[in-house]
Amino acid sequence: MATATKTESFVGKRVRRREDPRLITGTATYVEDIQMPGMHYAVILRSPHAAARIRSINTKEAEGAPGVVCVFTGKDTKGVGAVPCGIVMPDLRVPQHTILATDRVYFVGHPVAVVVARDRYLAHDAADLIDVDYEVLPAVADPEKALTKGAPAVHPQWPDNVAFTYHQDGGNVDQAFAGADVVVKQRITSQRLVPMAMETRGVVAEWRGADRQLNVYTSTQIPHLVRTLVAGMLGLEENRMRVIAPEVGGGFGSKLNVYAEEALMGYVSMKIQKPVKWIESRRENFTSTIHGRGHVDYYEVAAKHDGTILGIKLKLIQDVGSYHQLLTPLIPQLSVLMMPGIYNTQNIRADIVGVFTNCVPTDAYRGAGRPEATHGIERMVDLLAAELKMDPAEIRFKNFVTKENFPYPTATGLMYDSGDYATPLKKALDLVGYVKLRQEQADLRKQGKYMGIGISTYGEICAIGPSAATPAGGWESATVKIEPSGKVTIMTGACPHGQGEETTFAQITADELGVGLDDVVVIRGDTAVVQYGIGTFGSRATAVGGTALYYALQDLKAKIKKFGAMLLESEDVTLSGGQVVDNKTGNSKSLQEVAGATYRALKLPPNTEPGLVATRFWEPPNFTFPFGAHIVVTDINEETGQVKIRRYVAVDDCGNILNPLIVDGQVHGGVAQGLGQALWEQAVYDDNGQLITGELMDYALPRAHLMPWIESHHTCTPSPVNPLGVKGVGEAGTIGCSPAVVNSVVDALSPLGVKHLDMPLTPEKIWKILATKN
Amino acid sequence: MIAQKFEYTAPKTLDEALDLLASGAKPLAGGMSLIPMMKLRLAAPEHLVDLRALRDLNYIREEGGQLHIGATASHYDIESSALLRQKCPLLAETAAAIGDVQVRNMGTIGGSVAHADPAADYPAALQALEARFVLKGAKSARTVGAADFFVEAFTTALEPGELLREVIVPIDDARTGTSYQKMAQPASGFAIVGVSVRVRVNSGKVSFVRIGVTGLSNRAYRATASEKAFEGKASSPADIQAAAALVAQGVDANSDLHASADYRRHLAVVHAARAFRTALSRIV
Amino acid sequence: MRISGTYALPVAPERAYQVLQDPATLARAIPGCEGLEKIGPDEYRMKMKVLLAALSGQFEGKVRITDQAAPSSFRLIVEGTGRIGFLKGEGLLKLSPDNSRAAASTLVSYEGEAQVGGTMAAVGQRLIDGTAKMMIMKFFDKLASLSTQA
Repeated sequence: MATATKTESFVGKRVRRREDPRLITGTATYVEDIQMPGMHYAVILRSPHAAARIRSINTKEAEGAPGVVCVFTGKDTKGVGAVPCGIVMPDLRVPQHTILATDRVYFVGHPVAVVVARDRYLAHDAADLIDVDYEVLPAVADPEKALTKGAPAVHPQWPDNVAFTYHQDGGNVDQAFAGADVVVKQRITSQRLVPMAMETRGVVAEWRGADRQLNVYTSTQIPHLVRTLVAGMLGLEENRMRVIAPEVGGGFGSKLNVYAEEALMGYVSMKIQKPVKWIESRRENFTSTIHGRGHVDYYEVAAKHDGTILGIKLKLIQDVGSYHQLLTPLIPQLSVLMMPGIYNTQNIRADIVGVFTNCVPTDAYRGAGRPEATHGIERMVDLLAAELKMDPAEIRFKNFVTKENFPYPTATGLMYDSGDYATPLKKALDLVGYVKLRQEQADLRKQGKYMGIGISTYGEICAIGPSAATPAGGWESATVKIEPSGKVTIMTGACPHGQGEETTFAQITADELGVGLDDVVVIRGDTAVVQYGIGTFGSRATAVGGTALYYALQDLKAKIKKFGAMLLESEDVTLSGGQVVDNKTGNSKSLQEVAGATYRALKLPPNTEPGLVATRFWEPPNFTFPFGAHIVVTDINEETGQVKIRRYVAVDDCGNILNPLIVDGQVHGGVAQGLGQALWEQAVYDDNGQLITGELMDYALPRAHLMPWIESHHTCTPSPVNPLGVKGVGEAGTIGCSPAVVNSVVDALSPLGVKHLDMPLTPEKIWKILATKN
Repeated sequence: MIAQKFEYTAPKTLDEALDLLASGAKPLAGGMSLIPMMKLRLAAPEHLVDLRALRDLNYIREEGGQLHIGATASHYDIESSALLRQKCPLLAETAAAIGDVQVRNMGTIGGSVAHADPAADYPAALQALEARFVLKGAKSARTVGAADFFVEAFTTALEPGELLREVIVPIDDARTGTSYQKMAQPASGFAIVGVSVRVRVNSGKVSFVRIGVTGLSNRAYRATASEKAFEGKASSPADIQAAAALVAQGVDANSDLHASADYRRHLAVVHAARAFRTALSRIV
Repeated sequence: MRISGTYALPVAPERAYQVLQDPATLARAIPGCEGLEKIGPDEYRMKMKVLLAALSGQFEGKVRITDQAAPSSFRLIVEGTGRIGFLKGEGLLKLSPDNSRAAASTLVSYEGEAQVGGTMAAVGQRLIDGTAKMMIMKFFDKLASLSTQA
């Protein structure tokens, strides 16, 4: 059969995302879109109090309401296992996290009862009829207040509100500080944020009693882990449960979790023997899906007169919230790992105290611990520069780990894989026109105008990660099936949900096999179809999942060549452009012909099985360590205190780039969320534990019209950790952004003596400074 | 986020709508405030009368030397109306500053002003324009001026059973300069403070000035102290500053998470000065 | 949320103190109050309907009066719970003769804390401060008119 040799290659090109047509035409299937005969609807009644004893719950009226099938409270669900905390560490206090409150509620939004009815309107009406008698107790929402003597105890058994402590020492920090010329200290906060995926969470559970089979559709980043853990909570054999993550409308870490509602819907469906649907409302999303950040950090940096950093101390107070969710105690430990940034210092000391508060639990949100750490070190470097009257660029160049020192062991126990930190900063300084801008700034200052230039040079930990460093396995899996017709089906365990791997994985596959993009289909998110996998988070899907795919493709390429050689009766063949070619005669067999022959199996090469399927589970030997430089130029309105971003220059190094279009998209989205934290967003609790930014009318999410133009550029330092040379870019924008913005605004206001500002940089905060100092 | 059960009627005629209102139904226009409240179950009207189906309430026309804007004209209709842009640019400018595109497509002037949110944008302009409001009941019709229409937060001169039929604003000729200056709350888009100015200058002196302020207190108001201070002045930068400084005088300013009372008062002064300057620059 | 302010009632302090403690008068003056029912000494059960724009909420709660020092001060504690949330307020009211006016007049100064929870707190931040002020004004305006009636 004659087939034209395909020579087009895809990796490295701006290939349009194959997932977008269904997303932008509204034809994607989210949990909410799943309909089933006999579907019932659940509405969850939640606590309006941050702390209260439940004296009684009267569900009688609700049970008798039209359309209601049943109402369950914590008494009914006592047999269901607790919502899991996946972290094991010494002294970790883990409160029993039942799926419905039993005798007490610990935060506003705590689930108290579930109403199941034949339609959601009736379910909601009935929920209003449940009478809960609460004895309101004192609450505490501020982690520092929670640590003071006499503060209300979130969990009565632990009156000090300490959830865990963690200590890490590297090098000799006491000696470093003793020998320092200068020590700068600063309290730096990273406020609580609401991750705010556009699609709220939702679960459809379908119990098929006759088959003893539970199907759960849930908006998650980790379907396999949800299956393992929720099956355990329900006492169901893991192989009797199937978890499907249909289209997931954003996660940002908030769906890297196992939630009470996932088990609760399974429980309900098993009880009523009918499918049941629960869709989280936006209001619920604010108070029942995890929050991010929530740090109060006390930093000390020791340095020499010439700017050389000698050591860093950090006392980190992590607002845990009322419970541990899946990874809660891990997140501040990621901050500690990242605390030296990309600077050459071997002396660190970190003390974490995790604090219970009567708030929604915190957990992973885009960057998960690393934005907090980067914000801290990047602010501290600027504070040090200001103290020593050095240029913030110069002090960074002085302290960077240099190119020839890779792999570089950090004081926190990491091994940075590869890096060239000066190049992106040089490039960003050139792009922004740094020298000229400093001149302009001096001129503007003479006119009483405030313009700032803020630099952040970040590093991050991606491609999470080696299994030894993760709570549930850090490998990833891929299966490649070449069908009898030569078409290719990929099954990735990584469960990408919007990051674009349906496109990039097809690019890798198309290039390796010499087929077209349209010949490849990528399947993810269904535990009944896809082999076990870990999930998409920590900028890992391409670097770890893509590598598993790469190796599975190598296996198949070898097998294709074997079959091709047999068919061509040759011993010297190559696979290129979708053809197996006899290097001597030039005769060839197309992939389709070879694939057909492997399944027809009339003849098999020696020691070779029929079929063309390969599965790989790839264990990475290390994390990857992307880095970059962001420079933000701001103008401050001296009348109102408003911050205007004049320039945003991002130079990111994420290793090899498979698809620049997707990388840019990730940077843009990441920067948007970084700007959100720097300028607008904050989850504000009042003293009584009420979340007062509980709707999008008050929680200021970044909007399109508020976005600056992002000048996105790159340098390329391939990772030696994986054969693709990729590092990951999902979180870089967020991590690099917030310190660059704050450094810029502090720089602008520095003539007024401003040294530090906490986020968000609201106009009023800045106006107050202008009003008092002028 | 699911409303309680309610009845819904979309009458074809105004009389039909008024009959339904008389029997206790609640009017629904663009639904930009009411629907979210219903979904949060903060509001639970039993019967909604949808006014958007009333074609004869959706108009913008010139009549008897004035401009008549039907209650169901959308913010987008107003923002994009060639007639308003020419003859009452202040209202078009104000409409363009409301919320976002989706809100402007759905929301109506009638719904907005009848709701009387103290941070809504229109009331600043309508105070400055000394707009008049035509209120229609099943058996009544009356016209109320802006000073009397906006009573306090969420309270207008509308009596139960009455409907806002139209808003009447004067035609501003080219000698009148107008401007609406606002600081938007970043989450909701509502005005933290919004100031509207209409100004005329005759032989170098301010001959006429009207200032409307929204967002600052429990109701939009006319800053008469500022007006008095500005009238007859040469509109020098010092005059502008002096007049703007009075814009929040005697006002009990609101305070919330987005802006304290002091900051709001300061913003009112800043935006008043901006509105003065911009309005003056627009006098042909 | 801190609440504080002053209001001049057009009666003498003794009369002002009396009306401020009289359940029948309070029931008429508290905006939306649908009745006060005595359940103990200086303690009343209250039903209240809040109507604000399209918002409508029924509240059930308690009003308590403590620390009476006639005619100069007392403490007022109000609690209410409804489907859309709950509210709790506690404040000290001080009465002093207002000598700046010709006619009998009492300056009532109030200072306290108010707490709002539930849906109202989560979605109504923008409006709570203004609404609280408005309701206090309505209360005193009504009280002023009632206090001058026999």
